[in-house]
Amino acid sequence: MLFFLLTFLSFSFFFYQDLISNSNLIKAKFLNSSMSTKKKWVNNRVENVDESAECPILDLPELTLELILSKLPPEGLCAMAGACTELRAKCRSDYLWERHLREKWGQVVGPAAKREWKSYLASKKTFELSSFGGGLGRQRKWISCVWPFSWIRSRIGTTDKAKGIVPDDSVMSWYLSLESGKFWFPAQVYNREHGHVGFMLSCYDAEVSYDRHSGTFNARYPPHGRRTIVQEEGVSWERVRAPPVGTPAHDLHSSDCLKDLQPGDHIEIQWRRNTDFPYGWWYGVVGHLESCDGNAHFCRCHLSDTVVLEFNQYTVGSRWRQTTICRKSHREKGNETDGFYGGVRRLQGNDEIAKWRQLWPLDILE
Amino acid sequence: MARSSTENMITLMSSDGEEFMVTEKVARECTTIRNMLEDDCVITNIPLPNVTSDILSMVIEYCMEHVAAAEKAAAETAEKGSSSAPAAAKANKDLEEWDKAFMNVDVYTLCDLILAANYLNVSGLLDLTIQTAANLIKGKSPEQIRKTFHIQNDLSLEEEEKIRSQTPWAFEKSE
Repeated sequence: MLFFLLTFLSFSFFFYQDLISNSNLIKAKFLNSSMSTKKKWVNNRVENVDESAECPILDLPELTLELILSKLPPEGLCAMAGACTELRAKCRSDYLWERHLREKWGQVVGPAAKREWKSYLASKKTFELSSFGGGLGRQRKWISCVWPFSWIRSRIGTTDKAKGIVPDDSVMSWYLSLESGKFWFPAQVYNREHGHVGFMLSCYDAEVSYDRHSGTFNARYPPHGRRTIVQEEGVSWERVRAPPVGTPAHDLHSSDCLKDLQPGDHIEIQWRRNTDFPYGWWYGVVGHLESCDGNAHFCRCHLSDTVVLEFNQYTVGSRWRQTTICRKSHREKGNETDGFYGGVRRLQGNDEIAKWRQLWPLDILE
Repeated sequence: MARSSTENMITLMSSDGEEFMVTEKVARECTTIRNMLEDDCVITNIPLPNVTSDILSMVIEYCMEHVAAAEKAAAETAEKGSSSAPAAAKANKDLEEWDKAFMNVDVYTLCDLILAANYLNVSGLLDLTIQTAANLIKGKSPEQIRKTFHIQNDLSLEEEEKIRSQTPWAFEKSE
């Protein structure tokens, strides 16, 4: 009994000491920061007497230092973060990295990629906690007899944070994961497989990762039925986009634009070879009915129940050049020969239309 | 020069007690002073307790140069009815060259100028000094940055290695 009490007391003492030293640390830090503010003021008023002792850039007010950092490219911010602890903390600010993220990755990274990143982080955290806990398991179980478990847990959290250089959920960390190419994220690739003739003017879901040496992406396409996963290297930036809608590759997109479609509209329609395959998005335009000569004054195509879709990259007479869908009831139509036409989205912005024009094949397709 | 004699003169006083007489137009380049003048139009003496005399003289030099350049451009436009594009481009280039030469200072002076430009709210000078500081950082390794700005390295070797391993691409150019 006495032995147990002694053990208990010595343990409590150990943790108490630990606490004291921690709070001393905090105090010291606080003092330091208040000292440096004082120094700042003195520095402002008096000429720099002893130049070697001062670090002029760290004495700048927060906002002006931020202005300087906001002029730096990502490499500059990373190098600056390696200079000292204070700059390391400042250079990680989400505010600074959000612009870089938007400028470099905005076109290819969408909400789906962000979700993937969050779940990747969550899985990593669980892994780290369990691996950390593994080594400490016995000790922790033992200590928890005399100390509230939650406290130990929070201590583990802080040491982890102190050790990690880039905090995991920061925008900087997100940027660096994209840049390093270690992270594969969901996106869509135009004219897949190096503009393979069978995929011309389509855009397929893929997982992509960046290869910064070549400045291009690696893409992995979900398998077509029993085919193995197709990989493609060297996918250029202009062939990658963030998925414009949240519909997964195997799901039918619900069309919400059918009643408004009229000749001249630019659209993308889901198409798949058979029902086991994932959909791709195909570019087309809304055409006129056979009975209409296209004269704007007499055209009633927009009132018709039948909508003509044209895929003008194919030669006249090709079975791929035209299809019709029912305005009121279209969900998915097709068969094993012609494939299946699914959901339609009307292109709103000129950018999207210009993109398809830019990808237009040099030769007309058979 | 007849004009300047009729122009209001303002006295700016530095933290170390030195007085600088400038035209109101030059003083107005500093938004902080412009606001003071607009609040109180008879004010002629302005103490600036946050700016030393040598930094203040540099700020004034910058403002005078930029006021002169703007006046010259305005005069040319008035004379010819419209500004000629090549002449304006040349004037801009000359001013840029002047700015560049003006920024040939050590980091201490640069940081003092940033502080003064920020306090006096001289947007052109603030942009110029901030950009100059950023250019001093670009393309450098952490070690070179420390040397340039006299920063004490308080990172452990382990921490440094970790930063390096997480962002190897950021260090390729500087090595």
